[in-house]
Amino acid sequence: MLRLGTRKLLDRSFTGLGVLSITLLTAALLILLAPMCLRGIGAYVFQGTVEFRRVLLEKLQRGDRDELKRELAATARARQPVFDALLAFQQELDRMPATQRRKLKPEFEQVRAAVKELLGPLPGEEIPLMMRSQYGQTRWDRAQVKIRKILFAEDYDFSGGGLGRKMLKPRATTFHGTALEPLFAYVEHHAVAMLAPQWTFYGRFLTDESHDAHFFGGIGPEALGTLYLTLGAILFAVPMGVIAAIYLVEYARENRLVRLLRICISTLAGVPSIVFGLFGLAFFINTVHLSANKSVLVGALTLGLLILPTIIRASEEALRAVPEAYKQAALSLGAGHWRSVRTVILPAALPGILTGVIISMGRAAGETAPIIFTAAVSVGKPLTLWQTLSQPTPALPWNIYNLCSEHVAVDEIRHVQYGMVFTLVVLVLLLNLAAIIVRARISKGLRT
Amino acid sequence: MQTQKQLLIAGLVALTVAAAQAAGDAKKIVVDGSTTVGPIAKAFAEYYMKAHPDVNITVSESGSGNGAKGIINGSIDVGTMSRAMKTEELDAAKGKKRNPVQHIVAFDGIAAVVHPSNPVKNLSKDQLRDIYTGEINNWKKVGGPDLKIVVISRDTNSGTYETFQEKVTKSERVTDRAEYVGSNGAVRQRVQSTPGAIGYVGLAFTEGVKALTVNEIEATTDNVISKKYPISRGLFMYTDGAPAAGTALADYVGLYKTADGKKLVGDQGYVPVQ
Repeated sequence: MLRLGTRKLLDRSFTGLGVLSITLLTAALLILLAPMCLRGIGAYVFQGTVEFRRVLLEKLQRGDRDELKRELAATARARQPVFDALLAFQQELDRMPATQRRKLKPEFEQVRAAVKELLGPLPGEEIPLMMRSQYGQTRWDRAQVKIRKILFAEDYDFSGGGLGRKMLKPRATTFHGTALEPLFAYVEHHAVAMLAPQWTFYGRFLTDESHDAHFFGGIGPEALGTLYLTLGAILFAVPMGVIAAIYLVEYARENRLVRLLRICISTLAGVPSIVFGLFGLAFFINTVHLSANKSVLVGALTLGLLILPTIIRASEEALRAVPEAYKQAALSLGAGHWRSVRTVILPAALPGILTGVIISMGRAAGETAPIIFTAAVSVGKPLTLWQTLSQPTPALPWNIYNLCSEHVAVDEIRHVQYGMVFTLVVLVLLLNLAAIIVRARISKGLRT
Repeated sequence: MQTQKQLLIAGLVALTVAAAQAAGDAKKIVVDGSTTVGPIAKAFAEYYMKAHPDVNITVSESGSGNGAKGIINGSIDVGTMSRAMKTEELDAAKGKKRNPVQHIVAFDGIAAVVHPSNPVKNLSKDQLRDIYTGEINNWKKVGGPDLKIVVISRDTNSGTYETFQEKVTKSERVTDRAEYVGSNGAVRQRVQSTPGAIGYVGLAFTEGVKALTVNEIEATTDNVISKKYPISRGLFMYTDGAPAAGTALADYVGLYKTADGKKLVGDQGYVPVQ
């Protein structure tokens, strides 16, 4: 028998622990989600430069042609002194003594390359084939990085021995007294006039196709692919899972075989997702040749298998939770076994089943490993419903990984990556929200 | 009444299936394999689809080994590889009645890369080998600071790994302390964030890291063309049988021979086929 004081103390410390863990969870969520969402929103809302509007008009036929023409004329005027300085220095370079020329030429090439990255191809140059070199910076935040690249040379100081220290050397001092010197101050102070940044809401980021391997455009094929895969998995797993659960709860007799089956289902729920991915490849593609190559169909089936155990277990629990009296009442009114399951037990268990479906849906949308070998590709077009049977698709979880680990110029397109993360999180939230609303409706219908 | 309704539904279903089938007839090309060849495959795909919007070319990058496996299993149309197919792979393909045909789409060097703050500028091929076999484990021994070398290698599925094994480590075992990562981009990121690290990547992936000279020769496309640079290799696309002329597949794989194709290869830092 504990003393009253001790009991109170224990009680309080337990409450304290509970509050602490909830606070920690909230803080973790905030720390995790807040920057992710903020940066993700940056893919949709940002300061777009005149180059962005040029891409929209020239490649996607969107925007006001006359307005852009005026803007282009204005920015071209603002850019002219930069081009003039480059040209003047080029001529000056040719007249320089060889030693000085050799010293300045490599750095001049760097400046010229950086200007091209900021503003696009120089006037009179041949239009390059790669879209990424046809335009200057489309986003003001990226433009500022490029401006720094024009203004400062990144160098390492190795004089101290050991690892070098990073130094930013102003190029204006390197080119002091030459025709290039005014360029640096000009770029620094007239960047706004050269690029005309404007707050832009790029809502079609969600639906536009990507151009030049995600340098431009949006994430339409990825978002659509994720939707296809998730809904396909649900379409496959929910009927199968619910039927299996009904059988296990209502029809199967408790014997050794059924117990073994239950253990198998629980084990299946714990199998790592990559194993499902490899199984999907080995079975659906290489053995039964469901499709000749990776396809949305195979990916959805693999994801379906992955979430099947969760759905079976959740449905089983929900069915068991229906009071025995409901069933007995239905049977006493003369309903058969199947009829009482269909009209009484299943509707009563539906909210619980839907909870399982909601959890699985989020999992199916976010899983990467099962679709690597069965459905996902780095780039591809958005698919029609019929094409999903035979063709692979980009999908958000895989492309997030792909962009950050395999893309040639990942630093240039971070915003796309964050945009994908944000979109995936919102997509899962929306799917869940929809399911929660449906569940609430059903529960309400049951009570009245 | 009931039968009429059923008939109507059956008719509608048949119609949608037929319509969908017609729409689904659009051509597709599935490309998978090397992460080094990935940027070329993606640029070619973009270029080709602009002129032929009815073709869907999907590209993934899961390593040269998977390019070979895909061709052997017939699960892809084009296998991109940064090494040639090995005899075992060719035999396996023949065993499945496939006929891998090689297309050399570009040449590439493998650059040894370090963190930009690392004062070491040059390594000989032998030093590079000793670093990867674990004999040299401190930068001090090659003229650098007193710092442990973090060895980053590609995974064994990679064609870049195989080439590096063949040309540098001469098939000796890579040190147990090496970290294996799955793509060129991942090597670059690992090296970019680790001052003591060394890694090796294709020439297109040296942004943000410092490429060392090997035997005092710079890793540039010019030095790959002139064969001065000691670690270079061909980049390949494999198809099952030579694609019939005039098909989308033949046009796509053949892009490397066109002037525009060469430009696309060159613009990304690879060496076009002469």
